[in-house]
Amino acid sequence: MMDTVIATLISGLLLGSLYAMMASGLSLVWTTLGVFNFSHGALMMLGAFVAWTVGEGAGLGVWIGSFSGIAAAMVAGVIIEYFLVRPFYGSRNMLLVTVMTTLAAMIIIEKGAQIIWGSRLKQSPRLFEGDISIGGAIISRQEAFIIVLAPLVLFAIWRFATVTATGRSLRAVGQNQDAAALIGINVNRAFSIAFALSAGLAGLTGVLLGSIRFITPSLGAEPLTKAMIVVIFGGLGSMGATAGAAYVIGFLEAFLILWLGLYWTPFILFVVMITVLILRPNGLFGRK
Amino acid sequence: MSAFLDVENLHAGYGTVPVLRGVSIRLDQGESIGLFGPNGHGKTTLLRCISGLLPSSQGTIRFDGVEITKTRPSDIVAQGLVHAQQGNTLFGDMGVAETLALSAFVPRARKTSTETLEYVYELFPRLAERRKQLAKTLSGGERQMLSIGCALMCNPRLLILDEPTLGLSPKLKQELCDATAKIAARGIPLIIVEQDVDFLLTLTDRLYLIDHGTVEREIAADNAPDHAEIVKMYFGAEDA
Repeated sequence: MMDTVIATLISGLLLGSLYAMMASGLSLVWTTLGVFNFSHGALMMLGAFVAWTVGEGAGLGVWIGSFSGIAAAMVAGVIIEYFLVRPFYGSRNMLLVTVMTTLAAMIIIEKGAQIIWGSRLKQSPRLFEGDISIGGAIISRQEAFIIVLAPLVLFAIWRFATVTATGRSLRAVGQNQDAAALIGINVNRAFSIAFALSAGLAGLTGVLLGSIRFITPSLGAEPLTKAMIVVIFGGLGSMGATAGAAYVIGFLEAFLILWLGLYWTPFILFVVMITVLILRPNGLFGRK
Repeated sequence: MSAFLDVENLHAGYGTVPVLRGVSIRLDQGESIGLFGPNGHGKTTLLRCISGLLPSSQGTIRFDGVEITKTRPSDIVAQGLVHAQQGNTLFGDMGVAETLALSAFVPRARKTSTETLEYVYELFPRLAERRKQLAKTLSGGERQMLSIGCALMCNPRLLILDEPTLGLSPKLKQELCDATAKIAARGIPLIIVEQDVDFLLTLTDRLYLIDHGTVEREIAADNAPDHAEIVKMYFGAEDA
């Protein structure tokens, strides 16, 4: 019994770690541009495929592969921002239009991946081989690495946003574009940086996910819905709230799977999200 | 002598609604000027055009001999032309100290940021007391101080102040007038928009009356009309 609980806790921690990295990328773009990037999951998948192709296919090894995957996602993110989001800044229906254009980007990347890589299952090599045992539960070293890495990544993003001039400028642009421009911040460049960083986070999450699950063109679709639940659940905008919500959802999902099974879990998660939004419209940790 | 700032025949508006219909103003080297006139006749729109926030449909703007009509706002700030907006919440969820630190963003501002920060806190001791406070929790007067403080952090060669005393209590208004006088005394040329013409006359060399989207009248400060006449200008009794 104790083993099962520990295993479930670790599983929740792993899910929470992945969701936190994904959701913080989504939230970065949302807070800076006011755009919800539906292609975020597809960027994850792209990162995973490129990491596999470079690392495994071209035989350049897991490290070069991983960094290539992250870089590819960043480049794709900047391209999406430039061609599919930037033309609509200042348009009255920007939020709605960019929902459509980023959805289009998602479809293009997913179908493109299917043509390029086919639908045969692939798995990236791991940075760390072997298993470790924690309190009787056994997980792979790669999974343990993800659990340790996620808080470090979140901490780095938080430090970037609060301490560096570039990070602060992104927050300033998110809060008041005119005022940001009037102290000399190039608003368009801030948008590009936000998109690149967010896509880089998507790529990193994809590379990690691709090492513990099979890579398919729809790799990012299911985690994206979870990450959206996390971002909304946590209260749009705040970094700490998003990270907190990611772990809450991760643990909740792990225990729901244990108690109710895989079938009912997504349903219950959505019910929980809707209930939270009815009771606390600004999200679980949201402030007014 | 070429003008420090030269705005020629500027037209601009929002959508299809024209607001500026051929405004020309100039500011010579070492001068400060004032703009006044009724609300809703283009003063703020003119400032938004000068700082690059709003594109103009016709006309040119030159700053220190360089045309900036189509330059983006961040590059205009980098050249030292800085616009302090009316006291709104700059970045609501940022603290006072963080906002000021961020405002020294362009290269020419970074070089002087330590000294400027000291100067801003000396000019507005209230900001120094509220370093950690979030901008959205500041009072109207404090927001105005922060707005001017941020503009100063940009290390301006020409500073535009849009109604620094708008909607403030008489005591706070006096505080901001004094601060504006100190900034002028420091040798920073100013463009000040204000309704209080007497205050403008103490700080500037020339005034422009902006009405119906054009310059209705140019007034030299040493040859200023008296109060009654200015009231007449406002309400249009003179030409009616």
